[in-house]
Amino acid sequence: MQEKKGYVSFVLHAHLPFIHHPESDDYLEESWLYEAISETYIPLLTNFQKLVDEGVDFRITMSMTPPLLSMLDNKLLQRKYIKYLKRQIELSKKEIKRTAGDERLNKLSHYYFDRYSNDLHLFRDVYKCNLIEGFKHFQDIGKLEIITCGATHGYFPILYVNEKTVKAQIAVGVQTYERYFGKKPRGIWLPECGYVPEADKYLREFGIEYIITESHGILYADPTPIYGTFAPIVSPQGVVAFGRDIESSRQVWSSINGYPGDFNYREFYRDIGYDADYDYIKPYIAHNGVRVHTGIKYYRITGKTEFKDYYNIQWAKDSAEKQAGHFLDCRTAQINHLSNFMDKPPIILCPYDAELYGHWWYEGPYWLYILFKKIYYDDCNFKLITPSEYIDKYPEIQVATPCRSSWGANGYSEVWLNQTNDYVHRHLHVAGDRMCELASLYPNAKGIKKKALNQCARELLLAQSSDWLFIITNGTMVDYAKKRIKDHIGRFTKLYYQIKENKIDEEFLKDINKKDCLFPDIDYNIYR
Amino acid sequence: MPRRTKEQIELDNKEKEVKKAKTTKSTTKKTTNTGKTAVKKTTRTKATTTKKKEPVKKSTSKKETTKKSSSTTKRVTKKTASTKKTTTRKKAVKKQEKVVPVEYYDLPYRYNQTVVKVLAQTPSTLFIYWDMSDEDRKNYEKHYGEDFFNNTKPVLIVHNDTLGYSFEVEINDFANSWYLHVADSKCDYRIELGRRPIVKTEKLKDDYIYVTTSNEMQAPNDRILFNKEQKMVYFRNIKTGTVTEKPINTLSFITNMGKIYDIYDLYREIYKDENVEDIYDLKNPSSHPSS
Repeated sequence: MQEKKGYVSFVLHAHLPFIHHPESDDYLEESWLYEAISETYIPLLTNFQKLVDEGVDFRITMSMTPPLLSMLDNKLLQRKYIKYLKRQIELSKKEIKRTAGDERLNKLSHYYFDRYSNDLHLFRDVYKCNLIEGFKHFQDIGKLEIITCGATHGYFPILYVNEKTVKAQIAVGVQTYERYFGKKPRGIWLPECGYVPEADKYLREFGIEYIITESHGILYADPTPIYGTFAPIVSPQGVVAFGRDIESSRQVWSSINGYPGDFNYREFYRDIGYDADYDYIKPYIAHNGVRVHTGIKYYRITGKTEFKDYYNIQWAKDSAEKQAGHFLDCRTAQINHLSNFMDKPPIILCPYDAELYGHWWYEGPYWLYILFKKIYYDDCNFKLITPSEYIDKYPEIQVATPCRSSWGANGYSEVWLNQTNDYVHRHLHVAGDRMCELASLYPNAKGIKKKALNQCARELLLAQSSDWLFIITNGTMVDYAKKRIKDHIGRFTKLYYQIKENKIDEEFLKDINKKDCLFPDIDYNIYR
Repeated sequence: MPRRTKEQIELDNKEKEVKKAKTTKSTTKKTTNTGKTAVKKTTRTKATTTKKKEPVKKSTSKKETTKKSSSTTKRVTKKTASTKKTTTRKKAVKKQEKVVPVEYYDLPYRYNQTVVKVLAQTPSTLFIYWDMSDEDRKNYEKHYGEDFFNNTKPVLIVHNDTLGYSFEVEINDFANSWYLHVADSKCDYRIELGRRPIVKTEKLKDDYIYVTTSNEMQAPNDRILFNKEQKMVYFRNIKTGTVTEKPINTLSFITNMGKIYDIYDLYREIYKDENVEDIYDLKNPSSHPSS
């Protein structure tokens, strides 16, 4: 096989905050998981399988965060997802009747009916409700590299005021990965790509070899990396950092001319949850009667107009194929140019939110499938690679300390620290300090005290999730995010006093343990 | 398949037994920290400070204790409509013991501790929050007189430990946090909380009263580092640990791309039609799915 001039590495970050409400069916936020399963995780698995069946050799990397793994493994949520699918199938059946007079619309109704029915078959009968095993299979056959993330997506640049809380995020992230994949992760997706050099020693302690940073995490490193983002750097502590490629990011993400904005693609914001007659759609929207997305969307983006045309599946596929060709040509040109000046093949790192593919950009998984096929069959000058494979092949890496950075707006901490959410940080810091205090006061706790201390660790980790801060900044579902912060800090604080006063309320502990049931193997001594 | 712990199995079994019980109220009560902004310039420093967060309560007023405010969960005894009188007393009690915890929490107003913490929001903006414990307040009043807090004003002294300079910012007793703009990125900062006398009294003769110091925080770097002195770059083989040095002028990447120290040149070369200086103005994504 002809030696390739360079490499392209796709990294998809799959993450959802831990949302689990056994106490009620009324939480809309639980549907984020169901939507992501139907629109992103199952389509990715299906396309990976298609590539394998067609003999296409490909490589992709995915971070699967501990909260997401915990939810995918949760029996209650699995049952609720099946219930969700049955409801979707019921709705699409009704849609087939309702749209009988319009051939184009009716065809789409059938499409949704088939799609949700297929999801149910795949989830229940093929994957036996275990999607983690589905992803693990592709890791085991060498096509997919799965990496870990911070325990609850806690944002390191703010948490590291108390370094032990960052250490715990890393430790539990690695522990959860081992629990599901039976080995140690080689890489970690730093939550929000939030990098601080102070975390390096803990990353190394738990065996992490590499991280992903935003572009300026590499470009502003000290000393200046001579290959820019086209080669990794290694920090003095020994953590290898790969930086996001600017050009390929822009092609996908740009709100002006990014691929997902193609006029033939499905319009996310036109959904029958908003468009259909209220009495008709009422059983399928929020319990309190508020209109929400149902997932059944009949229109394409069409253009900068309010008058939307019906979605045409074939046209959307044509656009995805055209764009996959464009991406391939751009990377070929980029690598041709770069390879003239580099003494080792450049790596173009393309990290994205996994949920972009399918949930936001409906055609994204198909685009990836076509692109990977093109890369394999076309005579292009590069190959797909995982970061692990790249550092195994080219272990000689420039020493430099990455820049403190994140992939949030403007590149630093503004998304997670601004006037809408800055009141939270003192509570997170105090709870972190108190957790360390508890761990050092009761190093050998047993029985109920041990259970309470472990639950304290879970509550602290859940409070630290960067998602709540992001949601507050973003201004949607703010009440829910604020409530989650209050609940976890409240539960933590209550238990903290109960432990110190030796008056643990067993019923209370059981109740919150049932709600916040992730990390069953956690050991509070990580805070010592 | 991941193994299941005993704890989890117990929970699953319990889940089957326990009937659905709604216990959670939504928490819509607002916290006392309503952000307000007003821009204020200090004449004594080169920094611009943004005042924010004036708590509804004066910091001198009596606050609810942390313990009280954070432990608001109540236990409600579910009344059983038909407790049979014929059952034994023991059994009746057992039925009444079925309790449903009702959860409602609000964040503690404060933690009654003397603290100052600094966080870096951007390379040029620090976020600082602070508090003083009731005990420390009393000690200051005991030592400097009852009017100590009326006769002094709070200040933050910003120490840039990398470049070795300090400056002072006047704050006020109604705020408990502050955004502070600093001139130098990639520097270590430490914040000192102290008080300056407005009037001097018999007991209050000092020019400055130290309260406490923050953590140290490095503001991020915000530019490509143009180190023209650098002649070598170092490479480490991460498998063997061997470090090799390479003179910069022998690297073809640099020789061909022109100035090594200007990566913008490299991007100008690649993105011929783009405004390279604006390249970082991308609306970066973040990883959240809410629809």
